[in-house]
Amino acid sequence: MKRFIAATILAVLFLAAPFVGEGAFKLPAPEKLVLKNGLTLFYLKNADYPLLSFRMLVRGAGASQEPAELEGIASLTAELMQKGTAVRNAEAIAEAVDFMGARFDISASDENSSVMAESLSEHFPKLMEIAADCLLNPSFKEDEFTKERSKRIDNIKAIKDNPGSAVRPYFLKAYFGAHPMGHLASGTESSLKKMTVVQVKDFHKKYYRPERAIAAVVGNIEKEKLVEMLEATLGKWTGPGPAASLAAVPAFPKPKGRKLVLVDKPDATQAYWILGAPGYPLGDPLTPQADVMNTLFGGRFTSWLSTELRIKRGLTYGAGSRFQAWASDGLFVANSYTKNDKIGEMLDIVFDVLKKARQEGFAAAEVESSRNYLEGQFPQRLETNASKAGTYAMLAFYNLGFEYYDKYLAKVRSVVPAEVKDTAAKLLPETDFVLVVVGKAADIKKQLEKFGTWQEKKITDPDF
Amino acid sequence: MRKKLSVFVLAVLFLSTFLPAAFRKEDIKVHKLDNGLKILLYEDHNIPQVALYTFFRVGSRNERPGLTGVSHFIEHMMFNGTKKIGPGEFDRKMEFSGGANNAYTGDDLTAYTDWFPPAALEAMIEMEADRMQGLIFEPKVFESERGVVASERRMGVENNNDSILSENVRATAIMAHPYHWDVIGWMSDILSWKRDEVMNYYRTFYSPNNAVLIAIGDFEAAKALELIKKYFKGIPAGPPPPAVTTVEPPQMGPKQVLVRKEAQTPSFNLVYHAPNCQSPDFYPLSILDLVLLNGESSRLYKRLVRDEQLALSVYGGMSETIDPLLFTIYVKPRPGVDLNRLEAVIEEELGKIKKEGISEKEREKALNMIRSGFYFGLQTNAGKANQLGSTEVLYGSYEKLFTQMDNYAAVKREQVQEAAKKYLTDDNKTVGKLIPQGGAK
Repeated sequence: MKRFIAATILAVLFLAAPFVGEGAFKLPAPEKLVLKNGLTLFYLKNADYPLLSFRMLVRGAGASQEPAELEGIASLTAELMQKGTAVRNAEAIAEAVDFMGARFDISASDENSSVMAESLSEHFPKLMEIAADCLLNPSFKEDEFTKERSKRIDNIKAIKDNPGSAVRPYFLKAYFGAHPMGHLASGTESSLKKMTVVQVKDFHKKYYRPERAIAAVVGNIEKEKLVEMLEATLGKWTGPGPAASLAAVPAFPKPKGRKLVLVDKPDATQAYWILGAPGYPLGDPLTPQADVMNTLFGGRFTSWLSTELRIKRGLTYGAGSRFQAWASDGLFVANSYTKNDKIGEMLDIVFDVLKKARQEGFAAAEVESSRNYLEGQFPQRLETNASKAGTYAMLAFYNLGFEYYDKYLAKVRSVVPAEVKDTAAKLLPETDFVLVVVGKAADIKKQLEKFGTWQEKKITDPDF
Repeated sequence: MRKKLSVFVLAVLFLSTFLPAAFRKEDIKVHKLDNGLKILLYEDHNIPQVALYTFFRVGSRNERPGLTGVSHFIEHMMFNGTKKIGPGEFDRKMEFSGGANNAYTGDDLTAYTDWFPPAALEAMIEMEADRMQGLIFEPKVFESERGVVASERRMGVENNNDSILSENVRATAIMAHPYHWDVIGWMSDILSWKRDEVMNYYRTFYSPNNAVLIAIGDFEAAKALELIKKYFKGIPAGPPPPAVTTVEPPQMGPKQVLVRKEAQTPSFNLVYHAPNCQSPDFYPLSILDLVLLNGESSRLYKRLVRDEQLALSVYGGMSETIDPLLFTIYVKPRPGVDLNRLEAVIEEELGKIKKEGISEKEREKALNMIRSGFYFGLQTNAGKANQLGSTEVLYGSYEKLFTQMDNYAAVKREQVQEAAKKYLTDDNKTVGKLIPQGGAK
């Protein structure tokens, strides 16, 4: 592979759009349907392939609602919902889904839980029947709980065996501390050991409710048939009693000064790092400018970060940066890695590049290239049924409107260098940030001393 | 590139039954230039984008000791400057016109993958033609890119215990054939490739007669063909690249490799020599792969991950390769698990297949997986381009893509059992174990 900018560490939430001319490519508007139980659904027909994609987001069923001591329960709940219902055991669910060659998953992220189901059209009714059964009637058997929990505890050890995968959870903990956005989907050894199946049942009961769900279906099916099928499955879904209100997510922590964490992994031959600082919330008016800026700073192959660290000096295979946005706030994160004896040099360059971007901004030709790039790469984000369904659900979930990307792209097209420079000055960190390095302390500690005082951890210590 | 085969292939039987107008063999425009360049074009106006894929018939299979990893290194150098376009300019020009790209190298092929707005079509064709023979390998850039690939190896292998083990297992199982080494190559080779040797390798394999060009997306095929002719027809054909003549000798007894490494979790591999993708035995073994390893209902997942809780995950299976490679069973064991017990349980499961075969329901399940995977993959321009290109290179013609499902559907359950008996034998196997040392308690 020629690249990819550390895709495992920085998953992409929002990219952006091409130069095909104003209005040439739009997200098709879906039709809004409401089931009798109040569940809202967005639908688009696509008869090109015999396929159907379903996506649903359930507000509150994610990690941000977890009590501190139950870190990881949202993800564990989502997994266990697929491990047995009143009428199907785990084997029967797996067998039925696999038999259809279907894709089916329930997974929790920070602000929601996501249900995705995708199959050949002919199998879709059966698949939805199973998905609804998992959603409505999970059995949460004790033995499935015990199995999954023990698997998760062991999996944390496997994550720690690979410095590239370990750096992200260490970073989240260093940045967020006890804040719910720092909860790891995996949970931690300590939190998992104390969890009970009753708590899982309670979490499901409290947070999985139709009035908090938004769904989308894209693919080869007529509306009437779809509604009939969904009324018979998801239409049966009711929440027990009135919904408790969701806890407000506390304000994101804002680093003051440098918080530096070094995690010693004695067998690492490369040092992996993530640097993070405050960003902005989802849908923030700054988004187009910030994307134009970040594309140039660390968001694509020829970005400054990639140019300085990889292309000019061959220090690394991957280097990049991005903004990650949630409903109330967001983060800027940059990351890369290099062999042990180069980490000091690499970080010096990173700080130089940040400074240069903040102080000088970007040339007009660069800004034009970034605008073209964002617009040119946009259509393929909406190429499949699954990506359209996911986008409808996400836009509705965050109340951004289905014309969100039209406005976004219009703004991207008009961003000027002065705005990009302002955005860089505002959002790229200078003095206040969190920096986490995972590597062989014996080889890298000396090089890191000049950046300040490091809190040290050992990779074999419990948790992150 | 270790491709999960299931998403790949399909057949007329199902195509004609289920496919609407989209993506028929008849709609693919095929052309061959006098210099041997094969061109496949397919119009798809779903989104304003074009996927332009160039496949070269070269991969780590074509390398030799001392030059391992060089196919992949050239893939990197393809972005680093020609006589006409300076280092990094390919990416800068492409991104300026709204495009993005990547590339990958496998055991058998190297693919260059561009995605861009229709307006950039001519510029992209021009740049692809230019780098087919115009690379300069500027010494300073050469050294810098060597560092990038060394970092890639550190990331992908040295700091990934599962990869350390699978590299050891491959090198133990395969003795003579160049599949002995992984695509990334050995670190000592990465650190010592010579510029003239690399250039010579490039000249040997980067010729129009050793390539396939595929464009899928929002363009007019006739116009695209004119543009391709304009820029590619002047490139001279090269002599046919040397054939790979080494044949892996039969294995004559079980092999084992142990790796001791600082870790908290072990790794485990069990592999068997397997036929290439053009062998009739490829299809029953691919079905067996799905039955054993694909999904939570698969036999080994059920037994190892769920029932006995010996493992966190299982994966592997057949690889689509030009020469015979391996049927792999990769397991991520739980910490502290007895790896001999793990091996015995897998052997027991394989024994059941050899004794009783697979069920009719399992056969149908595997076919459904193949069929749905095919359609999922067809939804994008990139997916179509990739399937056509790899089928052309690996199976000899893209047309085979449209009859593959026949090959799968024709497999009888007895053939799966026969293939298991023939290939999954004790004398044909290599076991690999990574045993954690120190660090973790």
